[in-house]
Amino acid sequence: MNTPLAWKNLSHNRVRTCIGVAGVGFAVILIFMQLGFQRAIRKTATQIYDAWEFDLLMRSPAYLHLTEPRAFPRSRVMQAASVPEVAAARPFYLGLSQWQAPIHGDLRAPPTQPTNPEDPAGEWRSIITMGADPHDPGFVRQDICQLARQLSDPSFVLVDSKSKPEYGPVNKRVFSAQDIGVETALGPQRVRIVGLFELGTGMASNGACLTSPAGYVRACPWQTIDEVNFGLIKLHDPAAAEQVRARLLDILGIPPPGDQPAALRTNTDVEILTREEVNAVEEYRWVVETPLGQIFTLGVWVALLVGVAIVYQVLSTDIANMMGEYATLKAMGYGNKYLTQVVLQQSVLLALVGYVPSWGIALGLYHVIETASGMPMAMSAEMMLIVLLLAIGMCVLSGTAALRKLYQADPADLF
Amino acid sequence: MDSQTTVPATSGAFSAGMRLPQTVRVSGLDHFFGEGELRKQALYNNNLDVRRGEIVIMTGPSGSGKTTLLTLIGTLRTVTAGSLQVLGHELCGAERDMIVCLRRELGFIFQAHNLFESLTAFQNVNMAAELAGLDRRVAAARIEALLTRLGLGQRIHYKPQSLSGGQKQRVAIARGLVHKPKLILADEPTAALDEQSGREVVTLFQELAREEGCTIIMVTHDNRILDVADRIVNMVDGHIKSDVAVRETSVICEFLKGFPLFADLTPNTLAEVADQMMVHEAEAGQELIRQGDPGDLFYLIRDGSVDVLVADGATSKKVAELGQGQYFGEAALITDEPRNATIRAREKSVFYALGKEDFRRVLETSATFEEELRQALFRRQ
Repeated sequence: MNTPLAWKNLSHNRVRTCIGVAGVGFAVILIFMQLGFQRAIRKTATQIYDAWEFDLLMRSPAYLHLTEPRAFPRSRVMQAASVPEVAAARPFYLGLSQWQAPIHGDLRAPPTQPTNPEDPAGEWRSIITMGADPHDPGFVRQDICQLARQLSDPSFVLVDSKSKPEYGPVNKRVFSAQDIGVETALGPQRVRIVGLFELGTGMASNGACLTSPAGYVRACPWQTIDEVNFGLIKLHDPAAAEQVRARLLDILGIPPPGDQPAALRTNTDVEILTREEVNAVEEYRWVVETPLGQIFTLGVWVALLVGVAIVYQVLSTDIANMMGEYATLKAMGYGNKYLTQVVLQQSVLLALVGYVPSWGIALGLYHVIETASGMPMAMSAEMMLIVLLLAIGMCVLSGTAALRKLYQADPADLF
Repeated sequence: MDSQTTVPATSGAFSAGMRLPQTVRVSGLDHFFGEGELRKQALYNNNLDVRRGEIVIMTGPSGSGKTTLLTLIGTLRTVTAGSLQVLGHELCGAERDMIVCLRRELGFIFQAHNLFESLTAFQNVNMAAELAGLDRRVAAARIEALLTRLGLGQRIHYKPQSLSGGQKQRVAIARGLVHKPKLILADEPTAALDEQSGREVVTLFQELAREEGCTIIMVTHDNRILDVADRIVNMVDGHIKSDVAVRETSVICEFLKGFPLFADLTPNTLAEVADQMMVHEAEAGQELIRQGDPGDLFYLIRDGSVDVLVADGATSKKVAELGQGQYFGEAALITDEPRNATIRAREKSVFYALGKEDFRRVLETSATFEEELRQALFRRQ
């Protein structure tokens, strides 16, 4: 039909339409946030792995999760390096150590207690401690590789600038150039901050620092330099990862996976994974296994349900307000098909109009959350499309549900 | 003997003129509201025939079922018991698609005007024109003409919120008429209108009925527009109490007035008498009254003519010839004596007959005419 009734209805009663748009928008923001959190967890799960340069990763079969990686003999990494297809095999140390947050007293106020200059006397915090060769640390980002060159002494550390303020930056907010030269304790030893790098460790820990292998075993004395946590294997041809893995397993005398259940594989001290496998394990752990991931996955569903409830409420009120008019159309001889069309057009318009500003607001909130918590909240085209389809779906579903009454009732009962 | 029917004389079923097809046939229609224990009957065994081009006014106290019957005819309620045919389609147990198509042939003017607040007067009317598939320009011209005719020429592009109640009502009327429906159903169409625009609306109805053969059924309490009715249906408590063809009734009353004994009766009483008369039909040569029989009916000739024959011994002699508007059979009822003549139809004829009891009662009423007048004067105080 020619008269754009749906558009006229929306543009006529602006207040009602604004309420509708606000309702749809609220639901959309809710979904965007929950989806954003869930994606952020998925992303932080692999954040550290993403920073490393490898095609195949060696780690202990007893690996639990990032901060509980277990160790395996460094000689395995050396063995891997001997294979011609391997461009580089780098040992990498990673474990949870204790960081004493330095206390920076107010210099203008005299200290109330005599402070021992030997003891920074700050709170102890768990910190991810990484140990890598200062000249070839194996990071993807070249700026981190350059910064690592400063780790010429075991007592030197680089601090992740995305570490939380609880780790004691001078300005009490974020680690900056002011913190360079500060001394504190890492594990049982004294260390000096010689620089900053930017990484972000997501949910695994609130802070991270990087040192040399020698510095690592100083900080984590339960491990020796001959026990590493990861082996970063870079190949000449990344596409050949599967074949090289088979070759390496053969050389290392490890039966190929699948021959026997992993639990029974007692004769191995190392396993080799491709990047996809590593990511899959981490995502599974964070999204499915941890309560946090479950909460946000659930959150997406809850947001969807709440969204449907809000949109249904808004649309059904809207339709109820116009029931007499729709019934009149029905009485005039307009079929259910036309009425459905009008209501669906109205629903989709409402969804679209509600979506655009909500997308903008969600983007703003992402930025705020990312700045405040360091969680990598990112808007992807895929998410935009998913949420848009969900918004339209919600509106269409609610619209048709609200129309049911109109389908069934006699027009005379609706005037 | 004569063929007596149970058709009342005032139904107009035997009025002279062309027999037009029925637009609406209601027979044995019951309707209920509610379910289970709350189920309440709203219509009881309603029967009504409306022919093409007729304007029917339905009256009756509120709650008598007028609007219910109107919405049933208008396919806006589901017919559950009895039979209801509209434009040749049976509505009881009808398919939804058929009903949707049928609705496009109808023009409904609702008591609540139900205009789209978001559309202008023009666009509201256009919603009906679009459905009829009218050419855009033809529709536009017709909508403008119709709205102008209804006194809204200056407000064609106003939205309902800037129109008065009466103006909205007129937009709704234009919407009900724009697609030239075959049957217009109107629920208090003139309730919100002043005398002049109310008159304009009913004149429009009359034109549509006369020129387009459009049938109009109207529920109204507005006695200013009763003059347009071809038929007045009175409903009380879900029953059709009376269903009277106005023109035919006035014809009968005129005929009755010609009878000296009834000359003093008030129009009201005459109409009541007319209501009690039944239709009789006779073929050419058929005897309606035989001399010597006891008298039981008073006859009025509606159509055709008869011979009056008096038997004198073995031979019978034609003493008179009676035609339309004349009457016979009264003497035997007044005197209680046997028929004094034989009446034979000369051609196929139609008569309206009044029973002896009713005839006597009317005469008594006539005697109390002066009394009735006194009462009327007394009530004026």
